[in-house]
Amino acid sequence: MFEARLQQGGLLKKILEAVRELVSDGLWDCDGSAITLQGMDSSHVALVEMYLRAEAFDHYRCDRNVSLGMNHAHLSKILKCANNDDIITLKAADQDPDTCSLILESKGGEKTSDFVVNLVRIDADQLGIPETEYSAHIKMSAGEFQRICRDLSQFGDAVQISCSKQEVKFSSTGETGAANITLSHSATVDKEEESVTVDLKEPVDLTFALRFLNLFSKASPISEMVTLSLSQDAPLVVEYKIGDSGHIRYFLAPKIQEDE
Amino acid sequence: MGIHNLAKLIADHAPNAMKEHEMKSYFGRKIAIDASMCIYQFLIAVRSDGAQLANEDGEVTSHLVGLFYRTIRMIDNGIKPVYVFDGKPPELKSGELVKRKERREEAEKELEKAKEAGDTEGVQKFERRLVRATPQHNEDCKSLLKLMGVPYVEAPGEAEAQCVALVNGGKVFAVGTEDMDALTFGTNVMLRHLTASEAKKLPVQEYSFNRVLEGLELTHDQFIDLCILMGCDYCGTIRGIGPKRAIELIQKHKTIEAVLENIDQKKYPPPEEWLFKEARELFKNPDVTPADEIELKWNDPDEEGVVEFMCKKFGFNEERIRNGCQKLKKGRKGATQGRLDNFFKVIPSNNNNKRKADDMKGKKSKKVKKGK
Repeated sequence: MFEARLQQGGLLKKILEAVRELVSDGLWDCDGSAITLQGMDSSHVALVEMYLRAEAFDHYRCDRNVSLGMNHAHLSKILKCANNDDIITLKAADQDPDTCSLILESKGGEKTSDFVVNLVRIDADQLGIPETEYSAHIKMSAGEFQRICRDLSQFGDAVQISCSKQEVKFSSTGETGAANITLSHSATVDKEEESVTVDLKEPVDLTFALRFLNLFSKASPISEMVTLSLSQDAPLVVEYKIGDSGHIRYFLAPKIQEDE
Repeated sequence: MGIHNLAKLIADHAPNAMKEHEMKSYFGRKIAIDASMCIYQFLIAVRSDGAQLANEDGEVTSHLVGLFYRTIRMIDNGIKPVYVFDGKPPELKSGELVKRKERREEAEKELEKAKEAGDTEGVQKFERRLVRATPQHNEDCKSLLKLMGVPYVEAPGEAEAQCVALVNGGKVFAVGTEDMDALTFGTNVMLRHLTASEAKKLPVQEYSFNRVLEGLELTHDQFIDLCILMGCDYCGTIRGIGPKRAIELIQKHKTIEAVLENIDQKKYPPPEEWLFKEARELFKNPDVTPADEIELKWNDPDEEGVVEFMCKKFGFNEERIRNGCQKLKKGRKGATQGRLDNFFKVIPSNNNNKRKADDMKGKKSKKVKKGK
């Protein structure tokens, strides 16, 4: 059977918030060492990959690999019933389960709620993501990134990210005018969350749809810092670490200037 | 007209092969459209009060209305269409064409009768049967496409076959047609209902050839034989063998030759001088221009040209046509959104998943039984 107990139930809430608007139904693959989830938005422009190691749980048992097809809207309703410090346990049978149970226990142990989720059949393509060397890595505060995406959305629906030397520029152009935000490399600041690290092998200049970046930044509560990885004419990677025990990675296809 | 009952057979035996998507999820895709099929479709479907649309001089304009608006709808959704026109029909098709001609003549007679009897419903019914895309219609459409900046290809033979060559040569993503032949020719991906009316709100049906073969447990060659048995445009079929028998026979005996050896030919007489080998050859090696000799180029629309053509020549409302042109221009403007599946490859579903799918099927049917 599969059983996983999470002391800080809030983490599961945050993870779900970070994926549910992008992927309405997701296949949660559980094996002996981790839970993984991969899903694409319906237009196949963006992909989210969540990886949570067994160590994140205080109890984790998975005798046989199981895939749980979750309806995220439904799961979200259940998790809304949970407090951030509730203990959440996931349970499912071994062989092609039809349902998955969720048990919420309050911290003091005085209240227990349990729920059954009917699993859905998911017939989605899984994509193989090749190991890639990226030309540029930008590490910055997750909150700052969220802010930039939100601010620029007021001016246009796409952001041009250009990275050169020790700075990165986010620009957006729309009918009302243009907006530019530049961040400079500043690793020397005392607090890590205020620093910006730009690690550049080659300059890059790419354009992305802000709508998706705004969805990605819903993962900001999970991690203080976010890393953007870019290469010319390749998808952008936006990565949030889940403590020491996993990550959420988003991939976004760039906008392409075609000269046909 | 395609392969008899193939869509139903696939729905029964390979339900995984067809998925429905909204049109907008095909943005950024290049799609080859069987022009002859869709012009015919427009002539049949684009009507008001049962009569074809026409300008003041009585020239039919249904095909132009259909082509103009439905192409715009695709471009509005970010799709890049390329139209493929039929060339010379293969000789084998002459039998089918003669039959169609006979049916037309019959319909003509029936139409006369219905007119005399004052049966308006009958008149409309038989008028539709008489509809045919003429070379003039094709020429009109080509002129319009050129002005709209949409490319077209003239196939040496069958348009579907040429579309498939474009898909398998990597020039376009899919074939857009209603005729199931495209699968027989072996297209990886085939889309139906792409040029259907917006008002019908039909989702686009996407057929995956590999999944069709997987579901039917056939190779491509066996699939071609199956289609011939079910009835194609190129030769006759064995009387008394329908889709159900055809799939059973091919699954068991693999080829038409072996089927013929194993069935009671008195009970199921094959047609005299049955040209199934030739038909098979046509499906395998159709007369097409190789994909790498074809260059597809989408251009900005020539708004004044379109207005001149549509309004001056065919009497359309200028404002509406100009609005349409604006949409075409908008579709060209700005960078197009890339797709992730152009960068990452789909992992072929492993056996584990397949087992699961089978199990699911089992469960489902059990449930159905319980329900009864």
